[in-house]
Amino acid sequence: MSEVVFSSWGGQIVDNRNGQSTVDCDVQVPLKCGSNVIDAFMSWDGLVINDKNINVVALARAYIKEAAKLACGECSMGYSGFQLISGLLQRITEGHGHEGDVELLHELVDAVQKNVKCDYCANAVAPLKDAIKNYRVAFDNAAANTEPIPPVEYVKRVTAPCQEACPIHQDIPGYIELIRNHRYDEALKVIKRANCLPGVTGRTCVAFCEKNCVRADYDSALSVRALKRVPSDLGKQKPQASAIEPKTDKVAIVGAGPAGLSAAQHLAKLGYVVEVFDDQPIPGGMTFAGIPAYRLPRSVLQNDADAIAALGVRFHPNSRVSQLEDLNAQFAAVLLASGAHVSRDSGIDNWEPNLNGLTEGVKFLRDISTGKAIASKNKVLVIGGGNTAIDCARSALRIGCHDVTIVYRRSRSEMPANDDEVEAAEKEGVKFVFLAVPVKILALNNELIGAECIRMELGEPDSSGRRKPVPMAGSEFTLAADMVLTAIGELADTSILPINKVELTDWNSIKADKHGKTSLPWLFAAGDCSSGPASVVEAMAAGKRAAMGIHGYLSKQSIVSCEDGQLCGGFHEIGLSRRRHGSVVVPKNRQYPNEKPVSERILGFEEVEECFDVQAASREAERCLRCYRVMLIVKRQG
Amino acid sequence: MVKLTIDNKQVEIEDGATILAAAIKAGIHIPTLCYNEELTPAGACRLCVVEIVSEKDPVTVSSCNYPVGEGMIVSTTSEAVIKARRIAIEVLLAQNPNSSIIKKIAGSLGIEAGRFTIGKDCSHGCILCRLCVRTCQEVVGLSAITFEAQGLERDNNGAHVAWDEEACIACGSCAFVCPTDAVTTVDEGDKRIIQTPTAKMVFALKACTKCGSYYAPEKQLAYMAKTANLPLEKFDLCMDCRD
Ligand SMILES: Cc1cc2nc3c(=O)[nH]c(=O)nc-3n(C[C@H](O)[C@H](O)[C@H](O)COP(=O)(O)OP(=O)(O)OC[C@H]3O[C@@H](n4cnc5c(N)ncnc54)[C@H](O)[C@@H]3O)c2cc1C
Ligand code: SF4
Repeated sequence: MSEVVFSSWGGQIVDNRNGQSTVDCDVQVPLKCGSNVIDAFMSWDGLVINDKNINVVALARAYIKEAAKLACGECSMGYSGFQLISGLLQRITEGHGHEGDVELLHELVDAVQKNVKCDYCANAVAPLKDAIKNYRVAFDNAAANTEPIPPVEYVKRVTAPCQEACPIHQDIPGYIELIRNHRYDEALKVIKRANCLPGVTGRTCVAFCEKNCVRADYDSALSVRALKRVPSDLGKQKPQASAIEPKTDKVAIVGAGPAGLSAAQHLAKLGYVVEVFDDQPIPGGMTFAGIPAYRLPRSVLQNDADAIAALGVRFHPNSRVSQLEDLNAQFAAVLLASGAHVSRDSGIDNWEPNLNGLTEGVKFLRDISTGKAIASKNKVLVIGGGNTAIDCARSALRIGCHDVTIVYRRSRSEMPANDDEVEAAEKEGVKFVFLAVPVKILALNNELIGAECIRMELGEPDSSGRRKPVPMAGSEFTLAADMVLTAIGELADTSILPINKVELTDWNSIKADKHGKTSLPWLFAAGDCSSGPASVVEAMAAGKRAAMGIHGYLSKQSIVSCEDGQLCGGFHEIGLSRRRHGSVVVPKNRQYPNEKPVSERILGFEEVEECFDVQAASREAERCLRCYRVMLIVKRQG
Repeated sequence: MVKLTIDNKQVEIEDGATILAAAIKAGIHIPTLCYNEELTPAGACRLCVVEIVSEKDPVTVSSCNYPVGEGMIVSTTSEAVIKARRIAIEVLLAQNPNSSIIKKIAGSLGIEAGRFTIGKDCSHGCILCRLCVRTCQEVVGLSAITFEAQGLERDNNGAHVAWDEEACIACGSCAFVCPTDAVTTVDEGDKRIIQTPTAKMVFALKACTKCGSYYAPEKQLAYMAKTANLPLEKFDLCMDCRD
């Protein structure tokens, strides 16, 4: 603690300049960045000085210069205010200060805080206010002095709460700002820097960003996912020329799902020769075989995949890899991104795979996706409570089954499926039986007639924090059905691994570190096959990290994991969502994209959700508070 | 309807209206520069700042885009407002010290010369109010003018407004709304010249087939013909020669 010389972090003053602490508090800013001690840190929530020799005026000059670059220009107080503040600091540090400059600075900072359009500038000038207030003598002396003050050396990090929550750390406020100004081509370019599947994620992403959106503290989170779709629908994709010299090393990727595609994109951009093997006719993995076309039209998926092929990635569709070791002979490294496609044992008595109408949910969805004809049935039961269950139920309606019921062992509030998905299913007429589980399949003369179920009650919380369902003795009841679909989770297929050479996790997935390294040096793993069933964006993030791991392995370089836009180490705890000096939030309701009416949409697999129109997109983008956090870090040398 | 009080005057206005609209209805003057009732408010110039004094901690907001609330008490002349407004006009003066409208507003606020100067050249006079951008988008129905902002990893030429000569129909609406004459339009013979802070664009004018006078840009006529779904010949005559 005593290492802190001065801190105004979070508005709490710790002042040890006279050798004694006035307040004993725990500054949440880390004292180290990597292996370097941090001498000074300046960001939206204050300044922290750990070395008494730091010149705070020079620090403030550097910080304001960097922070001014993110003022968007949409209001004059923020944009020009920042330029004027920066200009004043420049002349002060260059030894050309005028009398009264510090007072002017103070007045401008105050005016920016009280009268700017959005949150960014109001927050961003705050630490300068702290600096002037607490280091007034240093500022006054600098303004009076004709000697220039040497600049500080620093590193800069920029992120935002939404960006930090996103597993692939997209520049969310950046593309939202471009969307607000109808600049879709550039917005698409910004998105594609971190996201190789803009069309897919614009429709299906679970949107961790929205759960961390600061705006939710006022009215509701931004519709980030729906906004992202706009440039992917309306913007033009320009082919990205690679500036990197091609390498000779060849990398094989097994699986063209989000993890494999993302790794392929990053490796191709690094210059590697990349070949992707997939056992499906179309790339996309579960986004093709699982996610139904009414949520993700195939043309959108194809577009995203085409852009990756345009980077020089070779796709081998309909090519199942049966032994990974065979690939190792031809490729310098192999990435396993085969997903989790093996259905869990349902544990239901009398489950007879050959009984007509009894199907695993993912197989049912894959059959629809690959165009297999499936006869519609009268009464369908779907077992499970996740997105797969909802997709099965809504797809069953669309192939003409009128009576579809989801049976879930817990209650509605514990359903892992997205809320809007559950609501959509309800609107379309899917029925729900909660707190029940099928225990036995009922058949008569080799025909499926239903399932015997048992009621459950919720007991103590389990490891996931949700209350564990326990069967109620004697509560058995029967549900009639001529189709039963299970959607109770999938496992990775481990049959193609070299026998006994690759370590597995306790839940039978492939054990891999952050950068995809497995227990075999040439083999990497990423996505659902290693994490277990997760999401598109998490698989993409894992694919990117594995690409970095493979690059490290093949180029014999160490991996730099501290990328821009991603915080590391102790910075995770810094509390990005806090707004100490925010602007006044102008109340505005969240916009939702239009949807096709229920009567029309259940007739087929046409896309349900529409794209925002240009005006609605701008209106929604206007709601963004631009919570960029610019962080200036001065590291101790040596 | 929502009832609120502005400068001790009771106003009633429909829900969702802005404070500025309510003030206009009550006959209370609030200075503005980037406001135009035909356009979506931009909140760019910050001159229309008012104080909501009925909040627990009174706040200053831009009245052009802040919605009214039931029982709200607003001051357009409080100390905080005057201070904020004066510094806002000083900042605008720093961006364009020669604009007559900015000087006039400054004068009305008792400011003869601003205390700030922006180090770099700002002689083009654009203050980024985006009236032209909004007019082109919302009134003309085109996006020939875009706002090129700064941002993460974008170039740091600074925010500016850019014209797309191809999409532009030379109607001149942007020059008409520009408060600081950063955009101008003149007709010289058979040409219309639109001068913007970043470009000079020259467009052909059409001559009336009857009297021979140059009366409108060819591109604008083609656009009108297309949007009205009329043959281009319908626009052969100037307004005077049409009966
Ligand atoms: C029905 C359903 C709906 C979902 N909805 C969403 C959603 O809305 N949002 C979201 O974020 N996530 C959703 N998910 C989860 C998401 O699809 C997955 O987490 C994601 O696709 C995992 O990506 P991956 O690349 O790891 O694997 P996958 O996408 O599963 O891709 C793996 C690919 O490898 C192929 N493969 C496997 N073994 C071999 C082999 N031996 N040889 C060749 N190819 C092989 C597979 O066929 C597949 O094409 C959903 C999942 C399902 C099942
Ligand atoms: S308001 Fe905008 S910048 Fe802030 S967290 Fe939400 S999306 Fe991100």
